[in-house]
Amino acid sequence: MSEFVIAVSELTRRFGAKTALASVTLSLPRGAVYGLVGANGAGKTTLIKHILGLLRAQEGSVRIFGHDPVADPVAVLSRVGYLSEENDIPGWMRVEELIRYSRAFYPAWDDAYAEELRKMFALDPVAKVKSLSKGQKARAGLLIALAHRPELLVLDEPSSGLDPIVRRDILGAVIRSVAEEGRTVLFSSHLLEEVEQVADHVTMISGGRIVVSAPLDEIKESHRVDGRVPTLDEIFIAHAASAASEA
Amino acid sequence: MRSAGAAIAWEFRRRHRWGLLAMMAYPLGLAILRLSVRRVLIDDELSFALVVAVPLTATFLYFVSVFSFGLSGDLSARRSIYPARMFTLPVTNSALAAWPMVYGAAAMTILWAVTRMLALWPSGVEVPVIWPALLAASLLAWTQALTWMPYALPGLRVVITVLWLAAIDAIVMLALNFKAGELVMLAILAPHVPLAFLAARYAIARARRGDEPDWRPMFIRLERIAFPRRREHFRSPARAQTWLEWRQHGRSLPALVTIVLPFELALLFLFRETPALVYEMLIIVLTTPPLMAIFAAATVSGSTMTRFIATRPLTSASLIAAKLKVTIWSTLAAWLLVLVVTPVALKLSRTWPLVIERLHRLAEIVGAPHTALAVLLVFVALLAATWKQLVQSLYIGMSGRDWLIKGSVFVTLSLLGVVVPVAHWLIANKRLIAMLWNAGGWILAILLCLKLAAAASIAIRLYDRRLLTDRALVLAALLWSGTVFAIYGVLAWTFPEVLIRRYVLVLIAIVAVPLARLSAAPLALAWNRHR
Repeated sequence: MSEFVIAVSELTRRFGAKTALASVTLSLPRGAVYGLVGANGAGKTTLIKHILGLLRAQEGSVRIFGHDPVADPVAVLSRVGYLSEENDIPGWMRVEELIRYSRAFYPAWDDAYAEELRKMFALDPVAKVKSLSKGQKARAGLLIALAHRPELLVLDEPSSGLDPIVRRDILGAVIRSVAEEGRTVLFSSHLLEEVEQVADHVTMISGGRIVVSAPLDEIKESHRVDGRVPTLDEIFIAHAASAASEA
Repeated sequence: MRSAGAAIAWEFRRRHRWGLLAMMAYPLGLAILRLSVRRVLIDDELSFALVVAVPLTATFLYFVSVFSFGLSGDLSARRSIYPARMFTLPVTNSALAAWPMVYGAAAMTILWAVTRMLALWPSGVEVPVIWPALLAASLLAWTQALTWMPYALPGLRVVITVLWLAAIDAIVMLALNFKAGELVMLAILAPHVPLAFLAARYAIARARRGDEPDWRPMFIRLERIAFPRRREHFRSPARAQTWLEWRQHGRSLPALVTIVLPFELALLFLFRETPALVYEMLIIVLTTPPLMAIFAAATVSGSTMTRFIATRPLTSASLIAAKLKVTIWSTLAAWLLVLVVTPVALKLSRTWPLVIERLHRLAEIVGAPHTALAVLLVFVALLAATWKQLVQSLYIGMSGRDWLIKGSVFVTLSLLGVVVPVAHWLIANKRLIAMLWNAGGWILAILLCLKLAAAASIAIRLYDRRLLTDRALVLAALLWSGTVFAIYGVLAWTFPEVLIRRYVLVLIAIVAVPLARLSAAPLALAWNRHR
């Protein structure tokens, strides 16, 4: 068994002349919440796409649970729960059909847990996905990401544009996943106060490069000014300003 | 830019500058030809087809796709293909409809004027002055109006547009058949552009306010009655994926056949006194599923790889297998419909005895077993043709690359422009037909080599990337070989050796059964899924 859930080594990705990721190296051990933060276009989603095998590594390597997600998508994706901002569940599906369909892919699917989540999120089983509000769609996506109790939960900007109640549900799911021993969460978000609430470890990415990657407490301690511990927002803005001046 | 018209013109120019530049090579080529070669070169049909008809058709089709926004929209979808971002511009529906129509009509007029002026026309041909430009503008205007309209069913846009354009073409052909003059042609064509404009304005108004009818629930209800909803769990991921594919794309072909078939069968009632027309209608009915499969194929293979699908824990080969399974179901469902409804229509229209009589006459000539076999073979061939239409371009759609999908459509349409005149010329040239007949074995052998080389290269890649298991590769090879042998057996039994040599039949069987394109589909999907 691999020591790391996610092991990214010297990963470089270019889209034409633009370098989206430059020699990114990242290793995530089991059982913690990792916050991935960065400005728009910093490379967070590109990194997550590599982790899910949606992008092939041009240079470097990506291993999830020790497997290459491109060469062996089944071995990786069957252990991963994924929710993205771009929630593209087919609109014609009913909630019950979505659950029935998703259930077939995951041997560890927990029917009782799925039903509990459906009730908690107030999802009507006969409602079509396209008739759900944005928040309800996010909840439906969260349900299928969680109900198989994944070893790795990947949340890519899950709460962008959502109301505080849905954001609370998402955070609750993160906390719940962490409560279950050995599970790992990779949480990418613009809302740094959310990341601050749940993350043990923060990776800050800027211009396709990792600028900070350390336990949250350590980051805060190292940025202490005049005895005051700054917020993650303040640290992020300071790093963004420094990256901009370097550029 | 001070007006909406100028902004829309700028967008057309900016987005399609390379294509429009490429199209300008055509009049340039014509001008060079006119200046450098003599009329004698263009005095046969093939030269005319290659120099004038084919480039003219290709340019016309390109203009149609540019000015109808067909290059950026999903033709098979229900929603209008008019870019939705333009609906929020502070301009009227009339302006949104009119400007692309004006630019399109101007482009068509210039195209015809340049062709008329620069092309070397065969001697004795009276080249019309204006009406071809008006015909081109009318066809474009109707394409714009009909493709910008929101529809109640996926795929309906293509069917209605094709049928309507074919009807306009038929009227023009009929008029030409009766040697209609320029003025008559202008009178026939003149109302089309204003009518199409009104239709386009209405289409845009509906699309703009989100007035999008949806008949799918009706079909879903009918399906629920026929196939009650399953409540039990799927036994495997593959079954779940097949269910999803069926729900997403599987019903397109049966739905298209359901829409078209009643119109075709209604004609049996009209023409029941004319046996020749009854037989023609029957041929049209039987070729409907393969023809509709061409349009349905766009929905089967044209769907984008969403993150939702791409992140299912399923191999790329399993995703393709689900699609292939659904295309088989679609084919069978469409044919079941034809086989059930057509005899009923024949009975009700009292044309059934005509069909039986024709079969009896055939049985008297070739014998009952051969007649039964011929009917069975025709049915199997049509069934196979329907399925083949659905899957043969799967690998292009699965690649998810816009440039490849649109490029292949462009190349296919351009080739069609070549095939028709070349076939016409071939039929008239008996010496060449004899030559081709004699060289048929070699031609088939070359095609066979190309096919096997492509298949071998794809098989190596499939093996290297572990997209298919060894067992699946061997099973696919066995299935393909079995089908080839079965076809060869039937052909050998049908055609005596004195007519066609056995090795030619083997080559025909090998070339006829899809291999390379089909096996390229998992590679294309993996290329799309893991970019």
